[in-house]
Amino acid sequence: MSLNKIEAARSLRIRSTQDFAAGLFMLALALLALFLSRDLPTGTLRQLGPGMLPKSFAVICAGLGLLLSANSLRYNGEKLTGFSWRGVFFVLGAACLFGLTIRGFEIGPLKVPALGMLVSGPIVVLVSGFAATDVRPKELIIFAAAMTAGCALMFKYALSLPIPLAPWLLGI
Amino acid sequence: MTEMFANLGLGFGIALTLKNIALCFVGCLVGTLVGVLPGVGPVATIAMLLPITFGLDPVGALIMLAGIYYGAQYGGSTTAILVNIPGEATAVVTTLDGHQMAKQGRAGVALGTAAIGSFVAGCFATLIIAALGAPLTRLALLFGPAEYFSLMVMGLCFAVVLARGSILKAFCMIMLGLLLSTVGTDLETGQERMTFGFPPLADGVDFAVLAMGVFGFAEVLRNLENPEARDVVRSKIGRLLPDWNDIKQSTAPVLRGTFIGGILGILPGNGAVLGPFASYTLEKKIAKDPSRFGKGAIEGVAGPESANNAGAQTAFIPLLTLGIPPNAVMALMVGAMTIHGIIPGPQVMTKNPDLFWGMIASMWIGNLMLLVINLPLVGLWVKLLQVPYRLMFPAILIFCSIGIYSVNNQPVDVIFTALFGLFGYLLIKLGFEPAPMLLGFVLGKLMEEKLRQALIISRGSFMTFIERPISAGLLVVAVAILVIALLPSMSKKRDEVFTE
Repeated sequence: MSLNKIEAARSLRIRSTQDFAAGLFMLALALLALFLSRDLPTGTLRQLGPGMLPKSFAVICAGLGLLLSANSLRYNGEKLTGFSWRGVFFVLGAACLFGLTIRGFEIGPLKVPALGMLVSGPIVVLVSGFAATDVRPKELIIFAAAMTAGCALMFKYALSLPIPLAPWLLGI
Repeated sequence: MTEMFANLGLGFGIALTLKNIALCFVGCLVGTLVGVLPGVGPVATIAMLLPITFGLDPVGALIMLAGIYYGAQYGGSTTAILVNIPGEATAVVTTLDGHQMAKQGRAGVALGTAAIGSFVAGCFATLIIAALGAPLTRLALLFGPAEYFSLMVMGLCFAVVLARGSILKAFCMIMLGLLLSTVGTDLETGQERMTFGFPPLADGVDFAVLAMGVFGFAEVLRNLENPEARDVVRSKIGRLLPDWNDIKQSTAPVLRGTFIGGILGILPGNGAVLGPFASYTLEKKIAKDPSRFGKGAIEGVAGPESANNAGAQTAFIPLLTLGIPPNAVMALMVGAMTIHGIIPGPQVMTKNPDLFWGMIASMWIGNLMLLVINLPLVGLWVKLLQVPYRLMFPAILIFCSIGIYSVNNQPVDVIFTALFGLFGYLLIKLGFEPAPMLLGFVLGKLMEEKLRQALIISRGSFMTFIERPISAGLLVVAVAILVIALLPSMSKKRDEVFTE
C-alpha cells in the first residue's frame, strides 16, 4: 500500500515544463486583465457594460491556463528551453532606439532632439547586428550606410512618406 | 452568368489601365522580394509593405496590396523549394518534395510547376470568386447581428481545429486574442478599458503593430536562436519549364489541389491553411507508388501549391462578401481598406463596384504577373537567399521599423511593436502558435459589437442565437466540428495530417 502511495506521488510531477509554464503565463495574463478591468461596470445581459467581455474573456483564459498546467502534470510534452536574451536585448533594443530617436523624446531630464532616419536607420542596423554571434563590425557599418541610403531614397523620395530624414541638419 | 461576365468585364476595364497594371507589377515584385527572405511570411511582408500603398487611390492601393499578397505567397514557396525553410504554415508541405527536387537538380522544374500550378489555380479561383460574389452578398444581407456573431463563433472554432499543435493551446490563443481586442475605448460608453491610463492605447492595440511584433520581430528572434540551418541549393537550378512528362504527371494534381484549396479557402477561420496538407495527403493516398513522396515527387509540389494559391484567393470571399476576415492576412487587408475609408462587407460590392470587380480582375492579372516575373528572376532570388542571416535580419528590422512608424507616423508604435515582439517570443518559447491569436484579435471587436446589438434586439435573451435558424445552424456546425476534433480517433488523424 505504501508502495502505491509513492507511485502516486511520483506520477504527480511536471511532465512538460513548457505546458506548465504556458498555463501559468495564461493565468498571469488573465489575472492582470481582471485587475485592470476591476472598476469597469459589468452591466446586465440586456445592456452589456464595458467590463462584461474583458472580464468573461479573462476568466476563460484563467480557466484554460489552469487546465493547461494541470494537463502538464498528466501528459508528457516539450521541455522549456533556454531563452537567448542576447537576441531579445539587441533586436528589440534597436527597435526601441529607433522609436525614441526618430522624432526625439523627453523623459524627465533626458532630452533627445528629433534625429531623423539618417541617424535612426544606422542605429537600428548597427545595434541589432550585434544580436548575431558571427557579427562583423566593418561589414555591418558599410551595410548600415547602404541600407539607410536605400531606405531614404525609397521611402522618402520614391514613396514620399512623411518621415523625417535629418531635421537637425537638413531641416527635413 | 451574363451578369458575372459583365462584372468581370468592368473589373478588367479598371485593372487593365496602365497605372493599375504597373501597380500590380510593382506589388508582385516587392512582395516576392520580401517574401523570399527566410522567416518572413505573408503577414509580416504585408504589414511591412502596407505604408507604400498609402499615397495611392483606394482601387490602386488594393490592387497593389493584392499583388504584394500573391508575391509574398509565391516568395514563400521559392524559399521552401530552394532553402527548405517554409515562410509560413502553408509552405511547409512544399518543402517536403520541392526541396528534394531541388537537390536532384530539378529546382527549376519545381519552381516552374509551382508557378504554373498557382496560375491555373488562380484562374479558377478568380472565376469562383466572381461567381459566388453576388449570391453570397445577397445572402449576407439576410444576416442580422445574431447571425454575424454565430458565424464568427464558427470561424473561431474552425481556427481552433485547423491550428497546428495542441487544440487546448490554440483555444488559449483565440481567447488571448479576444481579450487583447477589448483593450481600448469602449464603443458605447467611451470608457477606457485596460489601457493603464496610457493615451496611445486609447484606440486599442493597432493590428499592424501586433502582427509585426508577433510575426516579424519574434520570428527574427526565433531564427537567431536556432543556429542557421540554411541549406541553399548548390546544384544547378536547371530548366524552368516542365517537360511533357512533368505536365502529364502534374495536371490532375493541380486540378484536384485547386478544387480542395478553393473549397477550404472559403471557410471562415483560416481553412486555406489546411488546403496544402489535404492535397498532399490525397495525392499520396491515390498515387500508384506512395513511396516516391518525400523524395522529389512532382505531384507533391503541384497539388499543394495549387491548393495553397486557390485557398489564398478564395479566402477573399468571406472578407469581401461578409466583411469577416478569415485569417491574419485578410485582417491586414481590412486594416488597409479602412485606411482608405472602405469598410469591407456586403456594401462594398454595391457601393464600390469598381473596387470590388477591379480587385477581382487584378487577382487574375497578379497571378499572370507572377508567372512572368518569377521565372526569369529565379537567379536573383537565389542570390538573395545566399545573403547571410547576420545581414538579413538588420535589413528586416529597418524595414519593419520604418514601416510601422509610417502606418500612423507614431514613434511609440515602434516601441509597442518591440514589446509585442517580446510577447511573441515568449509565446513561441511556450509552444503557442500565434496565428489563431491574431484571428481572435481581429474578430473580437466585431464580435462584441454584434453580440451587443443582438442582445439589445432580443432584449437580453441569449435564446436569440438558437431561435434564429441560420444562427442556430452555424452554431451547430461550430459545436459539431469541435466535438469531432476532440474525438480521440479524429485527434490522432489530425496530428497525422499536420505532421506529414
